[in-house]
This record gives sequence, C-alpha cells and structure tokens, in this order.
Amino acid sequence: MKKKKRSPLFRRLNYFSPIEHHSNKHSQTTREDRDWENVYRNRWQYDKVVRSTHGVNCTGSCSWNIYVKNGIVTWEGQNLNYPSTGPDMPDFEPRGCPRGASFSWYIYSPLRVKYPYVRGVLINLWREALQTHQNPLEAWKSIVENPEKAKSYKQARGKGGFVRAEWPEVLKLISASLLYTVMKYGPDRNVGFSPIPAMSMISHASGSRFMSLIGGPMLSFYDWYADLPPASPQIWGDQTDVPESSDWYNSGYIITWGSNVPLTRTPDAHFLAEARYKGAKVISISPDFAESSKFADDWLSIRQGTDGALAMAMGHVILQEFYVNQETERFIEYAKQYTDFPFLVTLSKENGVYTAGRFLHAKDIGRKTKHDQWKPAVWDEQTSSFAIPQGTMGSRWDGQQKWNLHMIDEETGEPIEPRLSVLGIEDEIGTVRIPYFSNDGNKVLERDLPIKKMNLNGEETYITTVFDLILANYGVNRGIGERSAVSYDDPEPFTPAWQEQMTGIKKEAVVKIAREFAQNAIDTDGRSMIIVGAGINHWFNSDTIYRAVLNLVLLVGAQGVNGGGWAHYVGQEKLRPAEGWQTIATAKDWEGVPKLQNGTSFFYFATDQWRYEDQPISDLASPIAASSRYKHHADYNVLAARLGWLPSYPTFNQNGIDLYKEAEKAGAATPEDVGAYVASQLQEKKLKFAIEDPDNEVNFPRNLFVWRANLISSSGKGHEYFLKHLLGTTNGLMNDDSDSIRPEEIKWREQAPEGKLDLLINLDFRMAGTALYSDIVLPAATWYEKHDLSSTDMHPFIHPFAPAISAPWESKSDWDIFKALSKAVSDLAEEVDMEPVKEVVATPLLHDTMQELAQPFGKINDWSKGECEAIPGKTMPNIQVVERDYKHIFHKMTALGPNVALKPSGTKGMSWSIADEYESLKQRLGEITSDSVAKGCPNISEAKQAAEAILTLSSTSNGKVAVKAWESLENITNLKLKDLAEEREEECFTFEQITAQPKTVITSPAFTGSEKGGRRYSPFTTNVEKLIPWRTLTGRQSYYVDHELMMEFGETMATFKPILQHRPFLSKRPDQEGKEIVLNYLTPHNKWSVHSMYFDSLPMLTLFRGGPTVWMNKDDAEDTDIKDNDWIECFNRNGVVVARAVLSHRIPKGMAFMHHAQDRHINVPGTKLTNNRGGTHNSPTRIHVKPTQMIGGYAQLSYGFNYYGPTGNQRDLNVVIRKLKEVDWLED
Amino acid sequence: MSGQILWGIMPYIVLTIFIGGHIYRYQHDQFGWTAKSSELLEKKKLAAGSTLFHWGLLCVVGGHVMGILIPEGVYASLGISEHMYHKMAIGAGLPAGIAACTGLVILTYRRLFDKRIRKTSSPSDILTLLLLLFMMLSGVAATFLNIDSKGFDYRTTVGPWFREIVLFRPDASLMESVPLWFKFHIVIGYVVFILWPFTRLVHVFSLPLKYLTRSYVVYRKRS
Repeated sequence: MKKKKRSPLFRRLNYFSPIEHHSNKHSQTTREDRDWENVYRNRWQYDKVVRSTHGVNCTGSCSWNIYVKNGIVTWEGQNLNYPSTGPDMPDFEPRGCPRGASFSWYIYSPLRVKYPYVRGVLINLWREALQTHQNPLEAWKSIVENPEKAKSYKQARGKGGFVRAEWPEVLKLISASLLYTVMKYGPDRNVGFSPIPAMSMISHASGSRFMSLIGGPMLSFYDWYADLPPASPQIWGDQTDVPESSDWYNSGYIITWGSNVPLTRTPDAHFLAEARYKGAKVISISPDFAESSKFADDWLSIRQGTDGALAMAMGHVILQEFYVNQETERFIEYAKQYTDFPFLVTLSKENGVYTAGRFLHAKDIGRKTKHDQWKPAVWDEQTSSFAIPQGTMGSRWDGQQKWNLHMIDEETGEPIEPRLSVLGIEDEIGTVRIPYFSNDGNKVLERDLPIKKMNLNGEETYITTVFDLILANYGVNRGIGERSAVSYDDPEPFTPAWQEQMTGIKKEAVVKIAREFAQNAIDTDGRSMIIVGAGINHWFNSDTIYRAVLNLVLLVGAQGVNGGGWAHYVGQEKLRPAEGWQTIATAKDWEGVPKLQNGTSFFYFATDQWRYEDQPISDLASPIAASSRYKHHADYNVLAARLGWLPSYPTFNQNGIDLYKEAEKAGAATPEDVGAYVASQLQEKKLKFAIEDPDNEVNFPRNLFVWRANLISSSGKGHEYFLKHLLGTTNGLMNDDSDSIRPEEIKWREQAPEGKLDLLINLDFRMAGTALYSDIVLPAATWYEKHDLSSTDMHPFIHPFAPAISAPWESKSDWDIFKALSKAVSDLAEEVDMEPVKEVVATPLLHDTMQELAQPFGKINDWSKGECEAIPGKTMPNIQVVERDYKHIFHKMTALGPNVALKPSGTKGMSWSIADEYESLKQRLGEITSDSVAKGCPNISEAKQAAEAILTLSSTSNGKVAVKAWESLENITNLKLKDLAEEREEECFTFEQITAQPKTVITSPAFTGSEKGGRRYSPFTTNVEKLIPWRTLTGRQSYYVDHELMMEFGETMATFKPILQHRPFLSKRPDQEGKEIVLNYLTPHNKWSVHSMYFDSLPMLTLFRGGPTVWMNKDDAEDTDIKDNDWIECFNRNGVVVARAVLSHRIPKGMAFMHHAQDRHINVPGTKLTNNRGGTHNSPTRIHVKPTQMIGGYAQLSYGFNYYGPTGNQRDLNVVIRKLKEVDWLED
Repeated sequence: MSGQILWGIMPYIVLTIFIGGHIYRYQHDQFGWTAKSSELLEKKKLAAGSTLFHWGLLCVVGGHVMGILIPEGVYASLGISEHMYHKMAIGAGLPAGIAACTGLVILTYRRLFDKRIRKTSSPSDILTLLLLLFMMLSGVAATFLNIDSKGFDYRTTVGPWFREIVLFRPDASLMESVPLWFKFHIVIGYVVFILWPFTRLVHVFSLPLKYLTRSYVVYRKRS
C-alpha cells in the first residue's frame, strides 16, 4: 500500500513533538521529517545501464557503465569485470581516467552538433544552381568551375555562417560533388581521412568502405601523426608490436624514455607502480620533471632531442663490457640466432679505406637458388665457408617451406655455427669510414675493422660481419688496429664522455645504467624493458633515435621475452580483429583494390608545405656520400611515387577512367596490357604523375571527408598552410615562398593555388576546429549512442561500444551516415544514368607480398633517368584495373560481398579460406533479399551486423580461423605452430559475449605474441620461441639496413643525429617588441584532454586555467619579463599562437610546451601579428619529411598502410615568445 | 475612499499574500527555502554588511514591537513619560537604524558591484535588497524628521491602527493625520511583505533556534 504523502507543512509540526534524550542528554532522537534524504537516494537511481567505452583518440577501451535515467545519460562509472590477468598478477581493473569519466557532459553540451549544417553562401549557390540546371552534376559544375562563385564560399570557411540543412538536400549536394569529381578529375580526387580505427573500428570502416567503393583514397594517420616509429619496420619489418601494459609487471628493469605513462596512459599506470612494489627498478629519461619521473629511482634530465646520443653511449658500454671485454653467453647466442649480427656485409675500398656496402647474398657466392638476390649469407665456423641460413626474405617467397629461424643451411640442411665476427679469420685490419653528424659540421670517423678478402665471381671482395661494423660504428675498443684505444672518458663518438657534451647527463650515470640494464637482462633472462614515447618519437630524426634505443634491447637479448623489450605507446594502434576489419574497411569483399595513401605525403603536397623548404636536404646527407641526389625533400617523394615506393593519390595528371579508355583504344585488352600502356606513356612523358605538378588544378584533391578526427586545428601540422592553400581562407602564415628552394622534379608555378578543396565534409558530434572550417558538417553519434568495437595494444581484449541512448536530435552513427550517403550516391547515379566505368589504379610495391622483392640489393634504378625499364609492379607502381558501377554503391555498402568466400582471406603474407564462416554469417546476419548485386549476401546494413562479421572473420576472435591462419604459416615455415590457438578453436566471439564481458583475443599469426594459456602479450615471443622469422631481409632483427638511400643519409646503422637547426625567421621578421626569447617549441600531450576527452569540455577546462596555455621555464620567463598567467605570443614564420604563460621550474630552460589539441574556439584573443585570432598549437608548426622514410620495394622497407612512410614530425622548430602587448578579444 | 483602500483593505490583502505565500512556498518549494548564502564567493564585505544589518535590524524590529504593538498605556502605567519614551526610541532606535542601513548599503554595493556576486544574483535578490534599502531609509528618514520632541506621536495613530487591524477592526481614519514619510514607509512595507514569501527572505522563519539546545548526537526516527 502506498503511504500517503503528508504535506511538508504538516510534517513540520513534528517540530513540536517531544524529543527523547539519552545518555544524560548527550544524544537525542527526533521525529523530524526525513523525506529530503530521498533526493540523495534518487540521485543514484537509474533506469538502464549499458557497457560502452570512449574513443577520442584513446583505444584504452576501459570498460564503463553508462547510466541512463529518464532517457538521459546521467553519468558513467567504471565497470570492473575484466578478463583476469591470471594468478600472481595484478588485475586490469581499476581502469579509467578522470577525462573519460567526464564524457557524459559532452552529449548535451553546447558544442554538440545536432543537425546537418551547410555554410549559407554555399547552400544558396547550390539551390540557385539547381533551379537553372536539370542535371545536379551540371549544377555543381556551374559552382566549382566558376572562379568567383567557388571563391565566395571557400573564402567564407572558418567564419561561421552555418545554416541548418535537411539530410536529403545535403547528401545530394555531397553526392553531386563526388560524382562530378569522379567523372571530371578521377575517383582518386575524393579523399577520406579518419585515424586510428582501433578506437572505434566500425565507424572508421564505414567511411573507409564507402571511399573504397567509390574509388577514393584513404589517408594514413599513424605516420601523419608522427606516432609511427619508422625504426620498427626498419628493424623488425613490423608496423609496431608492443607488450600489453600488464606485462610491465613481469619486468625487472624499466626505462621510461620520453614516455609519460601516468599522464598519457592513466588506466595502465598502476602496473608500473605494481612493478615497483615487486622490485623492478625504474629509470626516467625526460627533459622535464614529468609525472613518470616520480616513479623513477633515477631521473636523467636530458637535453631535448639528444636521446640518440645517450642511447649510443649506453650501447657503447654494453658492447664494450658484455660483448668484447667479457663475452656474455646469453647475449652472444641471442645475437647469433635472432639478429643480423652474423650476416656478412660487403665493403668497397677507395684510397685505402673501406666503406660498408650491402649484404653479401647467395648470388654473390655463386649459390644457385631461387631469389638468390634476397638470401644474405653468414660464415659457417663448421665448414669454414659461406652458408645461407633458412628464414631469409628469399626463402619466405621461394615456396621451399624453409622460412624459419633454424640455424641450418637452406640448401644442405646442415646445422650452421655462424661466426659473429671475422676477427680471428681476418685477412686485414682495415680502416672503415663511419659517418658522423653534428651541428658543428658532419664528418667521417675512421675506425678499425677486421676484413676478410675473397675472390668471388672473379672479383676481389671485401667482407665483414654486421657485428664487426656495429663495434666499429659504436667506437668500441677491441684492441685491434693502430689507433690508440678509446676509453669512456675520451670525448670520442660514441663514448659516455662524448654524450655528456650533447645530453648534459653525467657519464658515470650512463655507465651505471647501461651496466644495470644489461646485468638485469642476464639475471632475469631478458626482462629489461624500455617504454618509449612521443618525447623521443616526434622528431625529424626519430628513427635514428629509436634505432639507437632499440639496439639496447636487442643487445641484451630482451626482445621477445615477457617483461622485456621495447614498449612503444604512441598512437596505441592495435586493431586486434584485423582481417575481418580489413575486409569490410577496404571493401575487399567487392572490388578489392583499395587506395591507401600515406597521409604525410598527401598533406605535404595538398597544403603546399613543399613550397616552403629552406634547408637543403643535402645538409643532412652522409659525409661519406658525395652529396644527396636531390636538394629538395619533395623530389624524393616524386622518386618514391615513380618507383612504386610510396602510393601517390591523386596518381596521374589524368583521370584514371579516361586513361583506361585511352589504353583500350590503343589496343590494351588485359590488365597487363593496360600496365604496359601506362608504363610506356610514362616513359614517353606523355603521362605524368600528379605529384610532379601538385599545383595544377587537374591534380587537386577535390573532396575531403574527415570523421573521428579533428584535422584542422588538432592534427593539421602546418595549420596556416592548410588554411591558405588547401582551404583558401584567411590565414596567419608569416612567410612566403619567394626564396625557398626550387625542386628539380616538380613543376614550379609562380602563383601558388589557394582553396584547392571543393568540399571539406566533416562528420562529428562537436563543433570544433574541423567542423568550423568545413563546408558541410554532419551530426555524428557519440560513443554512448552506437554499436562499435574497440581494441588496443595496452591490453588484449576486444571491447564493445553500445548505445545507451539512441542518437539524439538528427545525429546518426558514422555507419548510418555513410550508408545514407552511399544511397544518395547510388540514387544520383541512377538519376543521371551513369554507366559502369573502368579505372586504372596504381598501387605501390607492398610489404608482405612478392612485391617486396621488387628492387634487389636496395639499389635505386630510376626508369625516368633511363637506368632501367619501367615495369609495373617491379620498377614502378603496380597497375591494376577496377570496374565500378556507382549505381550499386549502396547495395555493396550494406552487404558482405561474395569475394569473402571466393578469394582467400589473410594478412601478412599468409592466406586461408573463410568460405565456411561466410556461410555461417548468412545464417546469423540474414541474407539480402532485394533483387540487386547483393542478393543472397550476408546483411551488414546495421553497424552491429558489421561488428559480428568482423568478429567472425578474424583470426583473433574466431578460433577456427586462428587455427587456419596458423596452418597457413606452418605451410610457409615448416614449423609446428597451431597449438598456440588449438585450445580455443571452438570459440567464436559474438557481440553479445563481449558485451557481457570483454574477451581476451585468441593467439593469431596476425601478431607476434602469444596469449596461450592466459599468458600476457609480449611482442615477438612467437618469433623467439617458435622460430618464426621476422619479415625482414635477413629474417632476423636488423642492426644493419643496406638500402642505397640509407647510405646516402648515413643511416645503415644506428647513429646520433642532432635536431634540425631551425631559425624562426629567415627574413621579414616582425619588429621586435619588448623582450623576446627563442625557445624550442614542443607540443606534447595535455593532461586534461587527449586521449580520452576534449579540451573544450567544461569539466576539463575547470581543471587548469580554462584556456590555452604554454609552459615555460621560470628563468626564461623572467629574462623576458613574463609573469605567470600573462598572455604571450609564440610565433615563427609558420604562424602565431596566443596563450597564457605557465611558469614552472619543471620545464628546463630553452624549451616551451604547448600541449596539443587546445581548441582554438576556447578563449583565444587576437594578435596584431596577423590581425586575427591567435592560432592553434599547430600554427607555428610545419612538417619536415625525411627521404629515408620513403624507401620502398625493398624487403621490410616496402610500403604498407600506416606501416612505412615519412612521418609528419613537427618538433624540430623554434618559436619567438614575447608578452602580448594588448589583449584584444576582437569582439567589437 | 482611497484611505479606506490603502489603510483598511490593503493590509488584509498584504497579510493574505504574506501568509498564503509562505504556506504555498513551503509546500511546493522545499529546496528553494533558503537564505542563498553567497559567503563562498565573497567573505569580507559580507561579514561587515551582514553583521551590521542583521543585528541592527533585530533592534529595529524590537523598536517596532515596543512602539506599535505595545500600547502607550502600558508605558504610562510603568511611569515612562512621553518624553522619556521618545528619548529612548530615538537614542536607541536611530543608531540601530543607522547600523542596519549601513549594513544594507554594504550588502547592496556588494551585490551590485562584486563581479562574482553579481554574476550569481537573480533579479529577486537584487530587488529584495533595493526594497529593503528603501524601506530602511524611509524609516530612518521618518525618525530623523520626527526627532523634535513635540513631533508626531505614532503611538496614538499608527500603533492603534496596526493593533486594530490585527483584531480585525480596521480603522483607516487613524492614519489620516500620519505624515507622508511614515505613510511612505508603510507602503514600501506592503511591497516588501507581498514579495517576501517569494524571495530569499523566507529564511527569517528558518532560524535554527534548536541548535542552541540540541544534544551532541542526534538520531532521526524512521518515519
């Protein structure tokens, strides 16, 4: 019976009721009303709780309960039931961070995009055009091909003026632009950008699938974000593979190197604390007193960007003491089996001194074998002659099932006892030239080296081992040669005393830590770990820094051991259910030739940053090489496009559809004929690469989709270049290209284009930088409003997103938006009756395919210079033909195509059939019944269905597929492997299962670690334990990379390269105003935004000063008369940003931190320098592309999407900082 | 006729709204029944203004009780002459009034010109303060103008008028000879009383007097 509620006034009469007193009136009992207590009880009552997670830029997939009350998301709380880490281990929970915990605010915030928006100028033009043109494509043409009209709406970008639009109208506008571009300029002028699929892979796949179906390239992001460590492909042939965070607990010695774990990996940081409780020693290497430094037993405050010098010195100590002075058996054995140390390298002799060249291959020693240019040799102690061990790149593809790490000769089958050094059998102690890089001028070091002379193929050949070269490179004292011995105290590269001048770190500390690191590896069987982070990864020369650092874990045999090795958590890219996702994301189930463009090159040219190069690349070339082949960075990118090293979309200065028609007219019948036609056209220079003339309007990208990202202001390095050239709107660029270097391979147009893009289309739920500069903003669902999947390298399970509420207002999930768009495109294609087309598609030489054997010996042969023939897929990009019918885009988008069953699935050079799984999906997801191309295919029109398909088709989430995958690898390697997955063969993840509890993935050859029996994931453990080769030239971990371009830049081995010498201004410097200071400008992670929440959210803004800030040293500030919280200008020739100064002794002198992704729409005043609002953190930045990261067609240095390619690094920059004279909010 | 409306009918309308309004508010707005302390945002001015105002006001209210509720006869029977009463009323009443006024000026200044207080003020907060200020100033002004010992004696006019109202025998004619200043003071009083239940002033009735006697440990019975 419901108790009648008494009125408050009546209840108030209780006031007069007698009061019971007890204990001598010490306490009393009253009859006062207690109804008010229910308010507090109701506060924590809810109607519904749903498991979901966050995906700003964070793949942490922390499990969250989302609480819904009266249809409103009211709060979120940590969910606790993670899969266990097993006995004797701390568990995953608690996971979560204060940033993520505040997300529910955002759903209903004023920043939420609730409806589709178009800029008023544009929609008026469009409506007018539709009045006068029957055909929507003609209508669109009348706008974009009319310079005045085009300018009117492009100039309005970033200046407000949005009006609400209806979904159908805006989708039709976009479709018209897309199809007009397809027909006029080519499908590869429609471009999509969305980063880090792992953080919400269905949403990523939705647009990626759409782009693939309409023939538009997808841009990579890992390299563009400068999170990709190019050293990883160089050393391991692997994109990035790292231990999950719980594996830190297995470590005995952890160095956090440029990584701020508690700040950037908050939910995982507890494992670091727990590892310490267990007894691990922790070293922090960081210029500033970072949060991670407080975990440390020793903190090395290093001069920023000099980490390579410290690592080289530590390597010097380890090599000296544990390889030369006293041979450590564990290290030597590890080096022989798992690294390229014993492999032989040829030397060239000139004027009595030697220079290291390429590896010695089977072909050189006269061994008759398939792929003899890809099988490097060792010296066998047993036979005192050459041997070709199994597991090399050549044996990966020769079909002989000998691709494994057994140290036996691949021809004779005899065991090999490889010699690590030729010392002892040498014919000579010669002098080898080692390149050395320094701001005081590069120079050549001369070092002693044991050399063996052989007569091979009638030529005197000089050889040595990689190990000998490495010792010479590091300057280790071996007691050979004439030169006087080097001690740790000599300031000779790369001793501890030498590094002290660079890094500012005492040599004694370096010796101590190097010894400890190695000794711990001896005592614990390799459990020495280095956690590396953005602090050392966002530099121009991050790859040389990384190679010097990673050599340390290789030298002590820590890689491939639980608790040991490298741990790189920059970008956190690990999409666990990889194959299923790839199938859907690249629409492999239908067409299958996705255009996967490396983002950095695309933006470098699209934003015309290439026009502003001022430092000739020849300054950076090896002092041994005569000079660099080009002066201009961009010329190398042209070379890379031409030789098939990197993808290059837009590809040709001609529409790929027209090109096909021409080829057909010229008599080409097969794709091979078309390839030959294209090659001949290129050689005759009748056809050109678009990249050779990026400022020609036929080569512009036309439509750019951005979703799940904030490109304009957060990741768009060179912000003002984006505004000026890509968008053509008001910008704050503070220099011009009048005295920049002119390229050789690119047509220079005096007038740089402005406003290349016809449409910038943004799907987002926040009105942030990109949305504000877009032409069209489509309202997207948040993470509490859609079905999706998340996974990460920080832990091994797959986590769901689930809708706690349906997408509010007019927002839709990304999947539904692209579905609606595909319908609009199909409908428009019907309306204008578009015929099916065939298109010529050029793809680069891909890693993990036979194409990685394209260009032997790492020798550069440029067909355009007549050095070789242009052969598609060999000396130039592969040429393929794809047929597209734009009327079918929608049907294909929403159905899983038949190629899943017809063609093999696979990854990383393995393939297997998933026809059975395809059949089961038909049953589980239902078949398409409508009469279309998709009839009978599994239905994936809903995001949840796509998620189910991904889980069923992937080896990490379907046990049967995992076993098939391992069997496939067994066939190549002749190893017993499938036991790694057999125990879980019966499992097939479903969305319901992972919603009930996230599930740990099944061990799969898609990755290199094992989860068997609940083991913690650590990379390369299957390589080490099961003897699966690395996907490198030698099949081993590489100390030596012998590509011609690596020699040109002196990077065949790890070395130290200083940060670029950057002057804020070359000319046209703004007048000095009061005191100014020049500081190195760094943009690390923000504590109260990124990864898991946005800067502009109110709960986060209240935590630190509520607006943009720049941290600087208190003494630097004092010299410049800047006080804490003063407004300051930071500027250089790229642009200016205005922020408040935060003064701290935590920041060393000489550098300034501006935490990245501080949104410009929050509290940014104007500056007189540009007469505009004071920029973003990216305004003073631009990227510098590095030629060695463009290499392709050569073993592990072959292209893969997000695997290799130049990084969009932005740290080698300086800014001028001064107090802002007048704070003007530009509000009048 | 206007006298009858103003002094015969209005008082009952005012009292009805005052009492009814409080009941309504208490029944329907339990969580809004508050003094809306802004001490968190500004302390210094509040400490001075609030102390002066509240203590001054308590004395002023006491003075009103002595002057209006208690008939003149009571004083006469106690042997307190007109002159003595007058001296007492002005000697104690004026300083109290000035203290309360000063406090109120500080509080009003604080509410209008302190940035944080202004930002968090509702229109009713500002209106309440301004009305109180007017009422106080008019009261003090009336007292000042009446400082002459041969002045107007409200104990024979306003006092009886008020007591008759309470006894439901309204007599508007008692107010005829009252000077304008006093009338003005009373009319502003009407406005204040009408708005009272709908502003923060309700906190007057929630003075936690129990705190003075309650035990150290308090249990509440389950209802």
